[in-house]
Amino acid sequence: MNDVLKIAFRFVGLLTLQVFFFDQINFLGFINPMVYILFIVLYPFENNRLLFLLLAFGYGLIMDSFQDTGGAHAAACVTLTMIRPFFLKLVYGESYLMKNLKLLATSLDRILLLLLLSTFTHHLIYFSLVIFNTSQVLEIIKMICSVGGATIIVSALIMLIIKPRRY
Amino acid sequence: MQHIINFLIKYRNLLLYLVLFSISIIFTVQSHSYHRNTFIHSTGNVTGSILNLRQEFYAYLDLDKQNDYLSKENARLRMRLLAAGDTLLGRPATMMFADSLPFTVVPARVIKNSYDKLDNFITIDIGADQDISSDMGVITSNGIVGIVDITSARFSRVISVLNSEISLNAQIKGTSTIGSLTWDGTDPYTMSLIDVPRLAQVVPGDTIITGKQSTTFPPDIEIGVIKDAVLIDNGSRYKIDVRLFNNMTDLGYVYVIKNRDADALQIIDTLSTNE
Repeated sequence: MNDVLKIAFRFVGLLTLQVFFFDQINFLGFINPMVYILFIVLYPFENNRLLFLLLAFGYGLIMDSFQDTGGAHAAACVTLTMIRPFFLKLVYGESYLMKNLKLLATSLDRILLLLLLSTFTHHLIYFSLVIFNTSQVLEIIKMICSVGGATIIVSALIMLIIKPRRY
Repeated sequence: MQHIINFLIKYRNLLLYLVLFSISIIFTVQSHSYHRNTFIHSTGNVTGSILNLRQEFYAYLDLDKQNDYLSKENARLRMRLLAAGDTLLGRPATMMFADSLPFTVVPARVIKNSYDKLDNFITIDIGADQDISSDMGVITSNGIVGIVDITSARFSRVISVLNSEISLNAQIKGTSTIGSLTWDGTDPYTMSLIDVPRLAQVVPGDTIITGKQSTTFPPDIEIGVIKDAVLIDNGSRYKIDVRLFNNMTDLGYVYVIKNRDADALQIIDTLSTNE
């Protein structure tokens, strides 16, 4: 029950934070960090995949309705959800499920690596769909690097704040 | 049969992923095409109300600048009124007998604006309840903003001029040279005027205004100035960079324009194609 409450809180909290604050930053005119993907990164390791996929889809569609991006956020979110187990295996080793890990209780370098992989995947799908033009590949790469950098920095700061002191 | 069911159970996650991904792609493709009814948009009651709340909060931080805009606009309108007062004495009849003006202007507030994507949309806080419908023009005191796309009861979505799908009829002021105004998706302060013939008089610094062929916008609204012009297509046509008067990255209040004659003009336009 505690876990469900925590997930619900993150769902609402991160969406509110994204829509009310991070979408309004417009740093250098176009950089708005997409911190809301932390919900998918932080989702418990042991989960019902079907439910998680549906949840991520709905989560992305809510973002889409606020930004009028069609289904780009939803596509990026479900892809990140689908590919997350491979990243977890890569970062925490083959038997990460056996170790009963809590992501926030692991060391910072591993969290950062996971964040880097997740952000890149999500932004790649998102910006490819939003820009949707093969002749603007440079623009896509520029957006992935600049917005992705901002996302990683801000997300890492948020994780540092909510990370328990002792592990 | 058993095999098929086993297959479905084994790959259920992947299959669900593929289904959801395809749905998202369909939504995305629809959002990129002009005037297609999309399912996911920002004019819903809940989404609109939340965006409205956000705007109410951020509007406080912007009050000084908006006051400044409004007072400048007031001054400009007052000047026009004084000028109109002079000419009014000459022809009072047309003013008194016109049953209504051809254009009605409705003020609205921008509750969501974006300019960092290829296809940008704006959400405003009036909708079908205020008789707003699609294809109406949206302007500010400094120039054009976009065209109304989808309306719900209380909110409307506007296709920003910063949208790759948009193409507006525009004209160089003082001449009868017309062209199409488009956006290539890079700089939110510049648009391009294309399809201008080679023989046209193009001078940097000239003003671009809305053309008379448009049924959405009233004619003679100033859009921007010519910044640069290059000949393309083997020197047969100009592509003109237009610097917008309007700052699309900072929109507070806008005006929606209802054209009384829009329906009539539309019917006349389609007459010849039906024959």
